[in-house]
Amino acid sequence: MKILKIIAHIAVLYGFYFVGSLIQAELDLFIPGSIIGMVLLFLALTFKLIKDSWIEEGTQFLIKDMPLLFVPITVGIINYLELFSGKGFSLILIVLISTALVMISSGLTAQFFLLRKAKIE
Amino acid sequence: MMNFYIGVAALLSTIILYLLSKRMYRIYKSPFTLPILTTTMTIVVLLLAFQIPYQTYMIGGKWLDQLLGPVVVALAFPLYKQFKLLKTYIIPILTGVFVGSIIGICSGLLLVKWMNFEEMIMYSISAKSVTTPVAMDITQSLGGVSSLAAAFVMIAGIGGASLGPLILHYSRIHLPIAKGIGMGTASHAIGTSRAMENSELEGAVSTVSMTVSAIVVAILTPLLIVMIL
Repeated sequence: MKILKIIAHIAVLYGFYFVGSLIQAELDLFIPGSIIGMVLLFLALTFKLIKDSWIEEGTQFLIKDMPLLFVPITVGIINYLELFSGKGFSLILIVLISTALVMISSGLTAQFFLLRKAKIE
Repeated sequence: MMNFYIGVAALLSTIILYLLSKRMYRIYKSPFTLPILTTTMTIVVLLLAFQIPYQTYMIGGKWLDQLLGPVVVALAFPLYKQFKLLKTYIIPILTGVFVGSIIGICSGLLLVKWMNFEEMIMYSISAKSVTTPVAMDITQSLGGVSSLAAAFVMIAGIGGASLGPLILHYSRIHLPIAKGIGMGTASHAIGTSRAMENSELEGAVSTVSMTVSAIVVAILTPLLIVMIL
């Protein structure tokens, strides 16, 4: 019974993905259809157009093992292995530096507003 | 018919290897034993050792791709569940994620441009701070290579999860909410599970931040690329 529920829930998610992709194609947007579908689902849940119980189990099932879903595409780096040797090694460094910058800038910005709010109160 | 059996074999071995990796991760927890990393590496080594072309593996692999769209949609649910948290800290979350996302996209693009890498790399690196299925979608619509994007996302995740506590400490980011926002914006789900170890609140705020940043980065990346290129 649970497996049927999960399949039905994933079908609902597919529906949102389909509508999102349709909007993306029709309006020729550069935002991926999956993201549009996600925003639509968020709005539908917030405005109580759909119930939690219509998607809950399917959602948890997919998110719990999300990494499995992108293993195949990640394995595709097999065609780009030479890229990470020699000069390409600096790409790893670039990603690490940029990641540190994101963490510092977002964390400090958030902390600034949190402290300001605490001071006002 | 032959293709069907190859597909099933590829799919089953992927699932089995993933489940084994998950079990190993439970015993030996570290950002370097994450199932996505160990499973991918094992499959890459197996394909190279047995000289199986990637295209052959993908006969079954692409079946799993079908679920990537729905899983991105599914991310709305945890965001909705944390709606109260999002509302309470709306200003710090939005400003933090927004500033971090712009700096992440721009610094990645500029460093790659400065090192004279090809444009294809720029397209593939720009969305590295968001969760893999979203980064792959963004990269694809830009004309980059999804597999490379996945690798960059993994490096950002593992790097952030392992070095994050140190980075946060030395930049004097000590409030749990701010730490969660930093982790989620920079290192998506991998950073979030690290934040979860500190406290439930930090993990929850990181979940919210990684989802908001997925939306923000999807909207900003194409615009910033046009400006920088």
